[in-house]
Amino acid sequence: MKALIAGALLALVAAPAAAQNITAPPPPIPEGITVEEIKVHGASLEGNLEGNEVDRQVMVVLPPSYRTNPDKRYPVVYYLHGFAIDGKNFYNYMRVPEAVAHNAAAGREFIVVVPSTLTKMGGSMYSSSVTTGDFRKFIAKDLVGYIDSHYRTIANRGGRGLVGHSMGGYGTWVIGMDYPEVFDSLWAQSACCVSPRTETVESATAMSAVKIEGVDQSGFGMRAGLASMTAWSPNPQNPPFYADFPLKDGAVDPLVMAKWANNSPLAMVASHVGALQSFDAIGADVGTRDGLIRDDTLIHEELDKFGIAHRWETYDGTHTDKIGQRFDEVVLPFFGEHLDAATAARPGERG
Amino acid sequence: MSRKLWACAAALAVFTAVPAAAQDQARLNWVEVHSPAIAGNLEGNSADRKVLVVTPPGYDESPDKRYPVVYYLHGYWAPVEAQQAGFKLHEAVQAAAEAGNALIMVMPDGFSKLHGGFYSSSPTVGDYESFVAEDLVGWVDGHYRTIAERASRGLAGHSMGGYGTIRIAMKHPATFSSIYMMSACCLPPQPIDVATARRVEAMTEADLANAQFGELAAVSTLATWSPDPTADNFLKVDTGLEADGTLDPLVNQRLAANSPLVLLPQYLPALNSLEAFAMDIGDQDFLLEGNRQFRAELDRFGVKYDFELYEGDHGNRIAERIRTEVLPFFGQHLDK
Repeated sequence: MKALIAGALLALVAAPAAAQNITAPPPPIPEGITVEEIKVHGASLEGNLEGNEVDRQVMVVLPPSYRTNPDKRYPVVYYLHGFAIDGKNFYNYMRVPEAVAHNAAAGREFIVVVPSTLTKMGGSMYSSSVTTGDFRKFIAKDLVGYIDSHYRTIANRGGRGLVGHSMGGYGTWVIGMDYPEVFDSLWAQSACCVSPRTETVESATAMSAVKIEGVDQSGFGMRAGLASMTAWSPNPQNPPFYADFPLKDGAVDPLVMAKWANNSPLAMVASHVGALQSFDAIGADVGTRDGLIRDDTLIHEELDKFGIAHRWETYDGTHTDKIGQRFDEVVLPFFGEHLDAATAARPGERG
Repeated sequence: MSRKLWACAAALAVFTAVPAAAQDQARLNWVEVHSPAIAGNLEGNSADRKVLVVTPPGYDESPDKRYPVVYYLHGYWAPVEAQQAGFKLHEAVQAAAEAGNALIMVMPDGFSKLHGGFYSSSPTVGDYESFVAEDLVGWVDGHYRTIAERASRGLAGHSMGGYGTIRIAMKHPATFSSIYMMSACCLPPQPIDVATARRVEAMTEADLANAQFGELAAVSTLATWSPDPTADNFLKVDTGLEADGTLDPLVNQRLAANSPLVLLPQYLPALNSLEAFAMDIGDQDFLLEGNRQFRAELDRFGVKYDFELYEGDHGNRIAERIRTEVLPFFGQHLDK
């Protein structure tokens, strides 16, 4: 938890006080790149108890030849954002259009898709919760299904990569483990929430004291705790948060802690070895000045223990200062190496 | 379940001969199903699994008829043949057919080196979960005249198999439409302590051979839920025992991550999507408390299910209840 807060304090850009979410200015869009801002209906999010948007904002970045070569089909890289930011601002900050242009110029053409999973608590945690909505399924099924049916994609496992930063790196691990059949390769950048989140009586008491109206003002760390709670210990019978709080009868409830641990990638690996081994490739990286390096090293070691091949890199950097550059220079080239390359469609086939 | 009961059941384990041409009777078909999900495990459990397929009377004479299927997951300790000897699935299938519910019943071999794979996914033990939910269902649909749809597939099990039933129902909601848990084990987390960890670390093959039911079950669940291919112990488990004598909390977190009580809130849509959900247990069963806790959580989350507490212990009325309760339940809920 300390690490998560430490990471968060390196926040990208000062956020407006009201929403406390991170913003970034629109990025340059190189010539030839097409950006579409669309909405994708999340059937898996219907009926969520937090009142989160069911039609989600999604940024779609198309490579230069997409418009000029209407017979071509492309691999797709799904890029998951972190906590307290939406998909569009994450796309802005990462300067995704430039990364797509650079890689296309080097012969690696992708469609990059950035969905927004911002929720009332500041982030979905990409988990399966009746309270937040089933965001794992939203990404793996609703979003992938929509993109495959609306764009000229290579619509099979070999043509799909999944990557994310921080909470999105966490999402990459858990969605990969739950839906291995959907994605060919994974990359986790500075993943958060890798080892089980725990609370003390003091921190749990503080969580219990937050009113639902006061969530936005409760601070990054508190919001991250509340978001974890609504994602990992949902309880449809307990309004207004619709979750089980970690504090019960003056002590930390071990059952709630166990539920949170069940959402920890580190605790999940041992039960998902087959899923993880089925990927074409897995990569993970973290900056040496990122507080999350300890956690991310733990999952690297856990993968090693189970003989799960993966690429593991640390670099001189913080939680945020090099992630856009690394997406461009390391992550997309990694997917270029592993995903099926863009190809001409069969005659008569149009997206 | 008592050791005595199983000693008895094992003694009867010789395959019951069923006359081959007796088409007025349910037929026992012992077959072998290859499971890629189990291949490569470190305990040396065979990827070629014994499976009992019980076809209803009239199956051969009705080549155009297709049947619903009830998958039945057996409990810990005794091999699949002894399970059949004790629980007589063919009598239940026969009775169901006579009541107008002709169906196929399938019991896969869930046994392992440590006497039970807990229908979970472990590199040490094998991925018994995918064996059942994917390899087996696919094979049965490909080799028997089933109605190969969710609405016509039921899942039931006893004890370890009751655990497997709820676990697989949560994780594979698209495969089964109705479930029945009998005297389910392992519902709350089963943490290990330092003393158990020390004992497991010191175990030898001879100790395994002499281990009692409860002792071996604890080792088996550890191999299933906290596997470690790099472990020094021959069991290839991570006991969590540290050099300084403390226990790595990650081990108990891994165990908890396989507990239905813990998994439950994240799989509410899966359980709420079931056509029917039943559980039962005897009033003298040693697993009453775990079942009570699980039901309290189901109630707290508003999940609908049928429950019956009956007079009996962990094993003494299972054969009867498969015949009088479980198959009639599926007869009522599966599409035919």
